[in-house]
Amino acid sequence: MQSDSERRELRREIKDAAARQDAAGAVACARRLMAESSKPADVQFCATALAGIGDALREQLGTRRLKTYVVRSVTVEPMLASLAVEAVLANYVLDLEVGGYGAYADELLNFDSSLVKFHPDLVLILLDMEEIAGRLPELCAEGIGAEVEREIEECVGRMAQLLRSYRAGSTARILLQGLVVPDCTSLGDVGEANLPHSLTNAVQRLNQRLAALCGTIADCVFFDVDRLAARAGRARWRDARMFLATRLAVAAEWFRDYARGMVRTFSTMYRAPRKVLCTDLDNTLWGGVLGEDGPEGIATGSAFPGNCYLEYQKYLQQLSSRGILLAIVSKNNEDDAREAFKVRAADLALSMDSFVALKINWNEKADSIRELAKELSLGLDSFVFVDDNAVECEAVRRQLPEVAVVEAHAAEPWRLVEVLSEQPFFDAAVVTGDDVHRVDEYRAQAKRAELASSVGSRDEFLASLGIVCAFQSALLAPLSRAVQLLAKTNQFNLTTRRRSAAEVEEYAAAEGGQAVVVRVRDRFGDAGVVGLALARRQGDSCVIDSLLLSCRVIGRGIESALLAYVGQQALRSGAKRLVGEYIATKKNAPCADFYSDHGFTRIIPSEEVSSGPVFYELDLTASVLTSPKWIALEGNER
Amino acid sequence: MSNEQVPTSLRELLADIFEISPERVTPELSMGTLDSWDSFRHLQAILAIEGEYGVQFDPQRIPELTSVARLQAELVKMGAVL
Repeated sequence: MQSDSERRELRREIKDAAARQDAAGAVACARRLMAESSKPADVQFCATALAGIGDALREQLGTRRLKTYVVRSVTVEPMLASLAVEAVLANYVLDLEVGGYGAYADELLNFDSSLVKFHPDLVLILLDMEEIAGRLPELCAEGIGAEVEREIEECVGRMAQLLRSYRAGSTARILLQGLVVPDCTSLGDVGEANLPHSLTNAVQRLNQRLAALCGTIADCVFFDVDRLAARAGRARWRDARMFLATRLAVAAEWFRDYARGMVRTFSTMYRAPRKVLCTDLDNTLWGGVLGEDGPEGIATGSAFPGNCYLEYQKYLQQLSSRGILLAIVSKNNEDDAREAFKVRAADLALSMDSFVALKINWNEKADSIRELAKELSLGLDSFVFVDDNAVECEAVRRQLPEVAVVEAHAAEPWRLVEVLSEQPFFDAAVVTGDDVHRVDEYRAQAKRAELASSVGSRDEFLASLGIVCAFQSALLAPLSRAVQLLAKTNQFNLTTRRRSAAEVEEYAAAEGGQAVVVRVRDRFGDAGVVGLALARRQGDSCVIDSLLLSCRVIGRGIESALLAYVGQQALRSGAKRLVGEYIATKKNAPCADFYSDHGFTRIIPSEEVSSGPVFYELDLTASVLTSPKWIALEGNER
Repeated sequence: MSNEQVPTSLRELLADIFEISPERVTPELSMGTLDSWDSFRHLQAILAIEGEYGVQFDPQRIPELTSVARLQAELVKMGAVL
């Protein structure tokens, strides 16, 4: 804990920054204060200060505002300040509304409950054992547990009914909190461990079932509060005195961890995980300095301290196996590094081939990362940079604020994995086949680049790729992939509307509506589902609400094929006009002229407006949208 | 009476929790005289005080500690260093 005078200084800075509506300054100081002080009064102070700059946060930092409703059976109010602050630190402003204690069933089932009328963006369902599985403690206590499994089935069934009923009438994202395994039971530690139907086992099974249930409901994520409780110590997670006196379910000392866990969990429904981890070599991927210690002298392998680095390498290998791209950004001679990987292959968990890109040179690291972003066609906000050198870390932070920087502590190499896993940037509640294959896809990208440099014209190159586009309903492809694309595509995204799974379903089901995805493959590999369009009929027009394409396939004419397909489907449903919309963002300039390039005419608004959506139209009866000749089409009912 | 009779640490803590200026935290300030002092803020204040001074209130006393003077007296009774 820092001295009281530093604490006061930070509070003053937060207050001053808030007074001049300096969002970045206020957030930075609040982050520092929260890292140093756990005083509830400081948390409330930050909550108050940040609540006063809601508009500035949105305008200056693009903070997302979420109308959030808390469905609860326990006392949550004292924790809300922590929740609000942690949310702002993760770039969300929560407009919070809390439901009644006993009202959860009515709120979720009744179509004009206060929950439904609130029209939330996000619903947090925080129920306790008594409401979810009130009979379980009693049924487990007798030791035989004959009725335990049936009770678990019934609990899951009841929860499924509540969630599905609410889901049918709302597109809000849902977070469902699980149960904490009770610490004190009449069976005692030995019975809890050995009896198959002990309460510990029953609650863990119930949690697994609830998590699986969340996976079957669109835009719903399971919040494993037991994991947090176990980390804190289950006996201390709840203060029995306060729970029994006031129904406060979590002891005050854990409010921050609880709030942070909740924010981390719902964040996965709003933003995509980062995609690339750039690691330094010396004193990060291995111990010591290659240039001084030589390949035989660097620390890696099964003996301490080399095994600390081996653990880190294994962690990176695991990230790579679910599609996180690995790259090296190191100031070294590339030949020396190659030699080290060769000489020490038996002591390393990674090989040169584990990395999709290498920047081993003496350039500025920020420049290297910038080059990587260009080569991989990824935004800088997809990058994580790990380095032990504080100066390098600070330089990257300053020059590339979008990049997440993780500072490895060279003196404590055993903490490297812990420091990395504490960070939320690789969090995903869903992993799709497309994620897992991404690493192969980027290797294929490198081969395409090679081919492009050997073939003459662009058309010749594209023809030689043998591109095949397959169109299908977004409902037939994994819906999670469609939503993932909507959530994370920035560059080639005409309107950047972050539609939810439920909304995609609405487009697919609407009369004359379309929710179509495109799957792309070529001779080098299968890129998977990389594009999506949502459209619906309005009178004799078909209006395109969303059209987007993953940045890694831009420039091959796939966007034209997708538009042609949408146009064709619109014509089939009886539309005479196709209407497109472009909403400019900081990132989507690459598709600003998309509609005009495809023969659309701009609809001039009656009054001249400088910003906001721009609409385009195309007369489908007079012009034909064609797909590029080098693309073969599948699933196209012509 | 004036706010000087409330120890600085308690005054600042309650000012944060009730979102008012420290000058307003006088011994007479109570749940009945301050709108932002509702039952949930009361619980939040109790939790903040417990954390700040390392004490645990008897739950049965909590609903009675509804003024600054009473909170302060209870803390003194429990031997807290204010």
